[in-house]
Amino acid sequence: MLTSQTNFIIALIFLAIGSIGSLAFRKKDSISNIWGNTFAAAGSAFGLLAAARTLFLNDIFSFSLPSTFPILSFSFKMDYLSAFFVFVISLIALLTSVYGMGYVKHYYRKYDIGSLGFFYNAFIAGMLLVVTANNALFFLIVWEIMTLASYFLVIFERNEPKNIEAGSLYFIMTHIGTAFIILAFLLLYKSTGSFDFEVIKNSAGLISPLTKDIVFVLAFIGFGTKAGIIPFHIWLPSAHPAAPSHVSALMSGVMIKTGIYMFIRIFLDILPNTPLWWGIIMLLVGSISSLLGVLYALSAHDIKKLLAYHSIENIGIILLGLGSTLAFTALGLNSLAIVALIAALFHTLNHAVFKALLFMGAGSVISKTHTRNIEEYGGLIKLMPYTAFFFLIGSMAISALPPFNGFASEWLTFQSLFAGIQSSNMIAEWSFVIAAGSLAFTGGLAAACFVKVFGVTFLARSRSEEASHASESSISLKVSMAILSILTLVFGVLAGTVATSLSKVSESLNTLKGSGVAATIQNLSMTTQNVFASVSMPGILLGLLIIITVTVLIVNFISRKQKEITGITWDCGTKPSPRAEITATGFSRSIVTIFRGILQPTKQTDIEYHDANSRYFPKTRTVNLETTDIYKKYFYSPIHKLIIKVSQYVKKVQSGNVNAYVLYIFIVLIILLISGVIK
Amino acid sequence: MEQLIAPQFLFIAGIVVFLTVIAMHLIKKSISVVYFYVIQSSMISLLLLYSSFVRHSFFVLAVTMLITAVKIIIAPGFFLRLIKKNELKFSASSYLNMPMTLIAITIITAIARSRFFHPLTVINPTNESTLLISIAAMLISLFMIINRKGALSQMIGVLSLENSIVSFAFTAGLEQKPGLELGITFDIFVWIIIATVFVSMVYKKFKTLDVTEMSRLKG
Repeated sequence: MLTSQTNFIIALIFLAIGSIGSLAFRKKDSISNIWGNTFAAAGSAFGLLAAARTLFLNDIFSFSLPSTFPILSFSFKMDYLSAFFVFVISLIALLTSVYGMGYVKHYYRKYDIGSLGFFYNAFIAGMLLVVTANNALFFLIVWEIMTLASYFLVIFERNEPKNIEAGSLYFIMTHIGTAFIILAFLLLYKSTGSFDFEVIKNSAGLISPLTKDIVFVLAFIGFGTKAGIIPFHIWLPSAHPAAPSHVSALMSGVMIKTGIYMFIRIFLDILPNTPLWWGIIMLLVGSISSLLGVLYALSAHDIKKLLAYHSIENIGIILLGLGSTLAFTALGLNSLAIVALIAALFHTLNHAVFKALLFMGAGSVISKTHTRNIEEYGGLIKLMPYTAFFFLIGSMAISALPPFNGFASEWLTFQSLFAGIQSSNMIAEWSFVIAAGSLAFTGGLAAACFVKVFGVTFLARSRSEEASHASESSISLKVSMAILSILTLVFGVLAGTVATSLSKVSESLNTLKGSGVAATIQNLSMTTQNVFASVSMPGILLGLLIIITVTVLIVNFISRKQKEITGITWDCGTKPSPRAEITATGFSRSIVTIFRGILQPTKQTDIEYHDANSRYFPKTRTVNLETTDIYKKYFYSPIHKLIIKVSQYVKKVQSGNVNAYVLYIFIVLIILLISGVIK
Repeated sequence: MEQLIAPQFLFIAGIVVFLTVIAMHLIKKSISVVYFYVIQSSMISLLLLYSSFVRHSFFVLAVTMLITAVKIIIAPGFFLRLIKKNELKFSASSYLNMPMTLIAITIITAIARSRFFHPLTVINPTNESTLLISIAAMLISLFMIINRKGALSQMIGVLSLENSIVSFAFTAGLEQKPGLELGITFDIFVWIIIATVFVSMVYKKFKTLDVTEMSRLKG
């Protein structure tokens, strides 16, 4: 049987062949598509095997390839944490590749399928390398590969000017983030004299508390930008929808998690003795991200943008778990820290699964209706029943409804936060209170949002010509969505088993080593250590099945003698039409109004009359409800204005006169000489 | 490296380099600037020649010959041809007028001889004065590039800076291997050719070599 290392190398080779082959066959769309996605799927399958062997057979490996640069080494390491992320990446990439085989067909003869295959494979390889890189410089190289590949995937549909704009924003923001990451690594290098993660970890005692704090801030901004936390998320709602749907599933479900991976790697593995305020900051940012993410999702009409906002929300939820871990570690409650970290990791896995499912469902709908505006859908359940069913499962999972996986991880997060509320430290206590309140709000609003999305998209009547002529998607799309739907249920019902596996990952981290088993399983029920709560996911499933069966039986029993009469719908004298249906805007209006302080809605009403002169009988009445991006208005716009102003001043320095440039050199030279001498 | 050249000779060479740089500032005629550059380069060649005799090195002698050819024959030849071809008799205008230029040179020389640069003389305490004079020559050459508007004067300023650095290196005992010096000479040679061709093209297009009138290089 192949070792984990061999599987991993084979995975990378397959992805490389997939990349190059796609380009080689670029003139033949169908071959290029099959080639690219088949090799991506094969590479992901081997990645999955590598991760599974490490996680379940303890086949940890590390190896290094020589480099001509002294401080750079192509160093890889797959420990439990890396293996977990490789597992998540490979699992989703495997299914998106199967999905892609069918989905990409609608791009034939419109866009370059060869370049899509090339960047898609490079993107997956980049992500796998990011979570296994063991040297900061090598990490930056693969981080850039991942970023550039995803950038080209975002602008794949380049005929749309909006996509180019979204790509540019993503490119700028992600590179600002990278600048912060580089600074963090340089500081670590300055203190430890090495870019090697292992050396930095072993020499962490040399890093002063101030340096650690600065590294925290820099890494939090740098990796937080990739993770899409508020207020660094500005690129996410426009970039994720712009990419092809199976890429959106990867970006939203997996890529943003690489930021979370680095948070865990740096704050819990490399840097020991984390101060309390790191955890508090993470809890507060997580609360804001989850709440604002779901609020903006509620007011969105673009189905992919809405899902992208939910990614921000879910990253917020993951941060709540991670923030709790850091806070518990600082308070010396390592056992609870492990529970909280399991919650964060579990939600990372769950979000990847249900978000990929939802993006695939959205992609399936978009490929048939050719629009992302949910106001133009409606009634698709009759035309696309499988897609509707799978989307419903995804919606239930993201809304944290049992027995699906979203419930299990959010329940664990809640338990961590409730445990934190009992903390003796007042600041920590109130941070946990805020976080728990925010999570409760978020859960409710997410459910409301998905009632809106599912209702407006799949129920009632079609509201556009294209929606009324939609048909079910191809088999490859249905298969991948079906597998993800099954996984949402399996990960939910077997949450105890998953939590136990994740406790192994958590306990392997430097900070949490030897803290004891946090979650136990007894007859597939999940029980957290020391405290208060236990839940049996199989029990919930069984209970739900019993309730449904009993309800069906009772209804059948009661109505067995009643005749079914079909009559005309009561229609108030007018024929039922899509105009009588509630729209997405109408649905979210009341919630948007409640949160008007944050969302700052603007309403524009247009009326068209039958007779413009008499103006008694309205023909159509349109309400256009828009919300204001407060972070854009109060954070990015002032920064943008400041940069423009400063640039205008700086422009004067660059006069185009050679003499002036030499003068600058002269002044700097004199200053350097004098300062050198003084020193 | 052991100091083989007599301090007196080094001092004279340093003074010549220093004075020629000042002279280049004071005169307006482009052709005279070139002649002063020839004097300055001749001094540097003499220094190298002296070094080759003292070190009994044929290779250094060969390098000296090459440097002489580049700095005293080829480079001035290029410049004189350029002046003749484009009739650049009085292109050496400057930003500062003469009194202000002299004040600036005085300040630069004072800075070079101040306590800030004194620690640099530990490289070779025997030639302390020469070292400081060479530093002053370097800074004044740089100032020439800043103060002169004409591209030709700026090019000569760059070459004068290079001569000052060579003078400093000799005084400090930082002479390099002949191979490296050969490389530097080749570098200068290529630079002169490119710069001359470039200046010639710019003049053809703009009918001036005044850099203040060349801020928009769109033609």
